[in-house]
Amino acid sequence: MYDIILDFTGNEILSMFISAALPLFMFILPFALVAVLAERKVSAFMQDRLGPTRVGPKGLLQTVADILKLFQKEDIVASNADKKLFNLAPILVFAGSFAVFAAIPFSGAYIGTFADVGIFFVVAISSLVVAGILMAGWASNNKYSLLGAVRSAAQIISYEIPTALVILSLVMLAGTLNLYELTEMQTEYFWNWYIFGGPATGIQKILLIPFMIVGFIILYISTLAEVNRTPFDIPEAESELVAGYHTEYSGMKFAIFFLAEYANMFAVSAIVATLFFGGFQSPFGYLGDLFGVEWLIPIEQFGWFTVKGLFFVFVQMWLRWTLPRLRVDQLMTMCWKYMIPYAFVNLIIIGIISLI
Amino acid sequence: MNLYDIIFYIFAAITVVSGVITVTSKNIIYAAFSLLFTFFGVAGMYVLLGADFISIVQIIVYVGGILILLLFGVMLTNKVTSTDIKSGSVNVLPAVIGVALFAGALISIIIRTKWTETPGEIPLSTAGTLGSVLLNEYVIIFELLAVLLLIALIGAASIARRTKEETN
Amino acid sequence: MLNYFKNTWEGIYTVLVGMKITFKHLFTPEVTIQYPEIKVPMEERVRNRLYVNMDDCIGCDQCARACPVNCIEIDTVKALPSDDLGKTSNGKKKALWVTKFDIDIAKCCYCQLCVFPCPTDCIYMTDVYEFAEYDRNDLIYKFATLTPEEGTEKKEAFDVFQAEKEAQKKAAAEAKAKAAAEKKAAEEAEAAKKADEEKKDDSKKDEE
Repeated sequence: MYDIILDFTGNEILSMFISAALPLFMFILPFALVAVLAERKVSAFMQDRLGPTRVGPKGLLQTVADILKLFQKEDIVASNADKKLFNLAPILVFAGSFAVFAAIPFSGAYIGTFADVGIFFVVAISSLVVAGILMAGWASNNKYSLLGAVRSAAQIISYEIPTALVILSLVMLAGTLNLYELTEMQTEYFWNWYIFGGPATGIQKILLIPFMIVGFIILYISTLAEVNRTPFDIPEAESELVAGYHTEYSGMKFAIFFLAEYANMFAVSAIVATLFFGGFQSPFGYLGDLFGVEWLIPIEQFGWFTVKGLFFVFVQMWLRWTLPRLRVDQLMTMCWKYMIPYAFVNLIIIGIISLI
Repeated sequence: MNLYDIIFYIFAAITVVSGVITVTSKNIIYAAFSLLFTFFGVAGMYVLLGADFISIVQIIVYVGGILILLLFGVMLTNKVTSTDIKSGSVNVLPAVIGVALFAGALISIIIRTKWTETPGEIPLSTAGTLGSVLLNEYVIIFELLAVLLLIALIGAASIARRTKEETN
Repeated sequence: MLNYFKNTWEGIYTVLVGMKITFKHLFTPEVTIQYPEIKVPMEERVRNRLYVNMDDCIGCDQCARACPVNCIEIDTVKALPSDDLGKTSNGKKKALWVTKFDIDIAKCCYCQLCVFPCPTDCIYMTDVYEFAEYDRNDLIYKFATLTPEEGTEKKEAFDVFQAEKEAQKKAAAEAKAKAAAEKKAAEEAEAAKKADEEKKDDSKKDEE
């Protein structure tokens, strides 16, 4: 993809920019459109309701209507808010969640950047989201916003540790930080996925499987907490904090926060899929290989990647409508007393097994 | 001037401008948030210098760790709902002397150094080499640092821990 | 330590149980009723909007009197003997023009007390429950079949009839009085005559 753009523009850096902006317009925006509707439909079906049915056939155009509504809304800045930071915060939050997509390989033919630090970059750049959230909460000059922001920051920072530990154990096993290379290691069939021990063979593979599953569970739970989804949605707890750090936001700025949240949802799902479930790799060969059509393979890979990502987004929604919100102390207990020790032990055991 | 240069100047401008704001701003929150952009600008410079790993470390340590800690400190220690969090200037004269000396030293270093110019290039991977160097040549220092951090962690935990009630 | 592992296991296990339940619900048919399109049939004894079958109404005012919130207003005019109002479905003869039968449904408390006293069962509760209006005055339902003009006409006609009747009565009374007076006058005249004659006789006698 990058090469095509390079041919077209003839400038390395410009084509890098275009290539980096691609996921926003090609993926995040359409994904947010679908995901908002899916969220409402899934929640409705799980509660034996119908969900939106009015706009378009079966309510499929509901999000379009919502977006049109958001466009028309007045952009309110509270008079006592800190205007500069208030306007800057949504951009920062969105930049943070969008930057994550640069390191995620969407298919064999497209990855935002081949930077070798890949997954490390993903972990690092999400701290920008924390700064943005704190900024939003502080600039709103509203106690609910501030409480939400501080809670969110505390939560994200805490849960970054188990995330990083699990990622570390995988990186240790794979020997690379680059998500593209990591995906390439899990090629061919689904038993090469890291959840099934990766490309290792023999006794090592069998030994790895249970610890990989533990790692996956820890990673999934902690990424769930990092994107502030239920049951870890205490930063936005509707019943306590109105809407948390974006209480004072309206119109397009609110929409940007919303978009960032959904972008984040997919980003963490994509990371889980890439690390443990083979990323864009098909679980069993490609049609393109079967028919000898070369250009079909990247498209298929993109399809597989989307399916895997969406599946984990669906699991997030599923969990959201299953579990009630945790209390702050429960949240911290779970992180510091359960997940971090497990992640550490898991890391050490995986290290030992990888030496066998 | 190609795009590479333009990007360099953008990052440099971000770093310098936000650095100046950090120092001069009376509002501590503004200072803290402009520090965020300073860190980012510096991280961008590292990338342009071909040090991708260092730039990511810059972000994860300074933005993700130190800056957030700083913001927490500011927000938790003051009345947060008012914008009265201001910083003033004290001890102007000693500061001026110190800054003048430091600036003189820096400028003299800049002038005396023989700079070699290399054309800008897309950064290559440094993570692998960095890792093997850290764990081979400098392994003692690396491990010592780890122990130091562990001690700091234990110390923080023991300070923060609630003293056991002496009843019963 | 054992408790720690037990907690962990319970945490994971209970989440899985919950997820199983929600997953089942993902496929259970929804219970939502798309209201304006699909309406649940109402129960037989439901009490909603009042309706008056004016064909059967005899204007007896019993419903208005039974109403605890005075939301029914009835005005009636007696029919002329020449008018034929027909009969109600249960065979009662109608004798009153109902010129006004207003129900202010905004006041109505749906107690159904007006329904029972009706001798012809013409006021009853229907199962219509969607009758929101933009103007409160639109909630005053006018059931009278006569237009206000017809009502005044009937009233005038009745007044005229009444007046005529009154006049007739008066006339009859006058005629009676006249007749009585005439009779009296005649009697008086006769008596006078007699008296005169007697007088004459007396004077005659006197002359003699």
